[in-house]
Amino acid sequence: MTFPPEDRMSELRQLFFESAGELLQTLNEQALQLEKSPGDAEIARSLRRTVHTLKGDSAACGFRELSELCHEFEDVLTLGNTAAAGLVPEIALRAADVFAALLQAYRKGTKLPSIGSLRADIARLAHPAAKGNPAKENSATRKKAAAKKSRWSEYEQLAIARARAENKRVHHVVVDVDPQCGMPIAGRQMVQLALAEMGDVLALYPLEGSHEPITRIEAALVSEKSAEQIRAKCSIPTIAQNVRVTALRAAAGTPTVAAVSSAEAEAGGEVPPPATESGLAGATGTASSDAADSSVHDGSASGESVATLVVASGADNLLRVDAERIDSVLNLVGELILAKSMLQQALMEFGQRFPKDALRGKFADAMAFQGRVLNDLQHSVMKIRMVPVDQLFRRFPRIVHDVGRQCGKEVELVVRGGQTDLDKSILDAMAEPVTHLVRNAIGHGLETAEERVRAGKRPQGVLRLGAYHQGNQVVIEVSDDGAGIDVEKVRQRALAQGLLRTEQAARMSESETLDLILQPGFSTAEQVTELSGRGVGLDVVQSVLTRVKGTIQIETARGRGTTFRLRLPLTLAIIRGLMFRVEQRLYALPLNAVAEIARTLEENIHQVEQYDVLQLRDDVLPLLRLGARPESGPEMARRKVFVLVIHSGERKFGVLVDELVGEDELVIKALDDQSIKTDLVSGASILGDGRVVLILNMIALMDRFTWGRDASGAGMAGLLSSVARAGTGIPVRAAAAGGQL
Amino acid sequence: MEKFAPVTRSEDGQPVRYLIVDDSVFARKNLARMVETFGGQVIGEAGDGVSAISEYERLTPDIVLMDITMPQTEGIEAAEKIVRDHPTARIVMVSSVGYQENIVAALQRGARHFVQKPVKAEVLYEVIKYVMRDDSAAQGAGAGV
Repeated sequence: MTFPPEDRMSELRQLFFESAGELLQTLNEQALQLEKSPGDAEIARSLRRTVHTLKGDSAACGFRELSELCHEFEDVLTLGNTAAAGLVPEIALRAADVFAALLQAYRKGTKLPSIGSLRADIARLAHPAAKGNPAKENSATRKKAAAKKSRWSEYEQLAIARARAENKRVHHVVVDVDPQCGMPIAGRQMVQLALAEMGDVLALYPLEGSHEPITRIEAALVSEKSAEQIRAKCSIPTIAQNVRVTALRAAAGTPTVAAVSSAEAEAGGEVPPPATESGLAGATGTASSDAADSSVHDGSASGESVATLVVASGADNLLRVDAERIDSVLNLVGELILAKSMLQQALMEFGQRFPKDALRGKFADAMAFQGRVLNDLQHSVMKIRMVPVDQLFRRFPRIVHDVGRQCGKEVELVVRGGQTDLDKSILDAMAEPVTHLVRNAIGHGLETAEERVRAGKRPQGVLRLGAYHQGNQVVIEVSDDGAGIDVEKVRQRALAQGLLRTEQAARMSESETLDLILQPGFSTAEQVTELSGRGVGLDVVQSVLTRVKGTIQIETARGRGTTFRLRLPLTLAIIRGLMFRVEQRLYALPLNAVAEIARTLEENIHQVEQYDVLQLRDDVLPLLRLGARPESGPEMARRKVFVLVIHSGERKFGVLVDELVGEDELVIKALDDQSIKTDLVSGASILGDGRVVLILNMIALMDRFTWGRDASGAGMAGLLSSVARAGTGIPVRAAAAGGQL
Repeated sequence: MEKFAPVTRSEDGQPVRYLIVDDSVFARKNLARMVETFGGQVIGEAGDGVSAISEYERLTPDIVLMDITMPQTEGIEAAEKIVRDHPTARIVMVSSVGYQENIVAALQRGARHFVQKPVKAEVLYEVIKYVMRDDSAAQGAGAGV
């Protein structure tokens, strides 16, 4: 197959954007790893390789700015070794953001973002805190240099401050490198090893990959050893010419404009000597102000572009296919399933007309075979659309890192079940809600380290992301071990906001009350702190879940944390539906929502207040009457009805229907808002005989059930009358529908 | 060649025992001569990384002087293997300036020190003294070059 050149080019570009997205994801991951294990040469190397690959790819595609930036970054990374990994992860993360913004701009053909600050960062890696000419140095300038502790990055400052707060001895070690030393980089490595033997190296300069000649090595070291012991250890022959070890007082109490501009700042004037005990406060202040700065990146770059650029990756034998192509295959499979139903219908009629005809058996066999193949086909195609949840989860280490820093909280992220498969379109739709929940959990769910310690917990909060299969559903869980939600406060708030009336409030169970926070308009930013924060825009989460026919369940325990459990269908396109009739009209509910089916007589249905209830074994089951309540009378009392028992999270209720029709694979056809105004119907499907079945929206039904109870004296009666009326001219593939509804 | 005060093992005052690894016979002899002037004793030689490892196993020397570029198993790998099996092994890498990156890699994998080729006796002497120094006895022994 040959393409015209421009076609091939655009295909190449497409490929580039996809793989670049993966590379950025990898870069993010590697940077985070490196941050966890600073100085790990293996990670540093693979990070460099990632940048290198991106450089090559972008150059091949003619994206000059990106490839140049990568080139500069790679250069800086190449020269160095392991030391002073402190800054590398930080800058790699920033680089990932800027690269993502560049890619986005290339892709959309918009104006390129500013890359100046990243350039400066990279340059800072190359020339960390450039100092005056060392040759001119005398003891006076040495003292001055020793005072300029703000060369430590904000991370290092934080680490130093923390160590000091824990009453550890922090030494400032300065090693002048022997000018005769032919291998100063190796020399610095020796110093680092020597220091590491004496204690914990919090910081070490010059940084990895410094371009400037290494004439002096400076480190912050936590060690119980004496200054003399450290000095002796660092007096390495052929490398160290002069070693000074002093106690490091507070780390840069001066809240410099983070470390970003420290190089320039230091080159200019002298930083005033740090105040002694402001170490912790100063360092934290610096860190959080920097976090605020970087939140600008977060919103635009990591939030959006990284998300959109994340593409499936995995084994070597991968085929990249446009999702649309798969969708169209799936659509065709859907049509085939319709055709199968039509054939079955025809076969039935044939059987009725010619019950003895031998041909009937042949047809039946052929159709059974076809049905099996069709089933396999459907599953195979659906499998193509399945992607591991990990594709979503892998973004979170970065998000948790950033949000945690913004909020000044220590968060440990635990991810489980990343291999669980889920339909790609559902997973894509979940990106925003899950991110929202994660941000919320860190921002408002988890307490600060001090609060946690006071509550007898580890200072580090734990955020868990999990995914697993449950029946025909996938469950995604976001849970934190924070303070939990105060249900009583939720109740008060809902009352105050008029979302709830007093008598309703008294009746509501805890989980029903919790669900209030998902209601639109429940909470505003003002309540965030008051309510330990949950509720900000959670209705967005709810609405996305409704769209993909999922449900959300909240579990909370005071002081122990909160879990949001999102239940999602495996796929959107086809569901197994249970079909039934209400007032002669055909409806369906997802089969997996129905826990059991009970048959009863109308006379067994009792009314408590205005609600229909049914005693089912030991339980009193509230009922949802979809049709109008029949006129009372002896005839009505003997009428048979069916009750579909629905479990939804904590709640259990019955749906009263007149007649069961059966179950079938329903290929869901979306309905547009014009056709149907109510949210009680989430879609429609066409049966083999051309009849249209309306698929009911469980969530909306439930909401009516909860919220609409006393909206009218008639309770739920006649709920669907409006649907039925609206449904009469639904253009669901008009030919097949044939107005039969 | 100048005279050096003998370097001895701190635990028993015995001469330091050396394994010299280099693919060049000349370089081995040169190093051997040097360490003997420090009062050392060359107990083994090896011409490649693989025999370096087996010789170490056999002899457990106090110090290994290890060339970095050798046929078959390179010095870094040999050093890494030896240190992995014998964490107390003292390995000093010997290399020319061009192999700075390899030196760093070797240091990261457990080599104790390095000397630059061409090796100067007085430099090697200081390095040996530093490497043989017992850490508990390290106080006040800071010897600048």
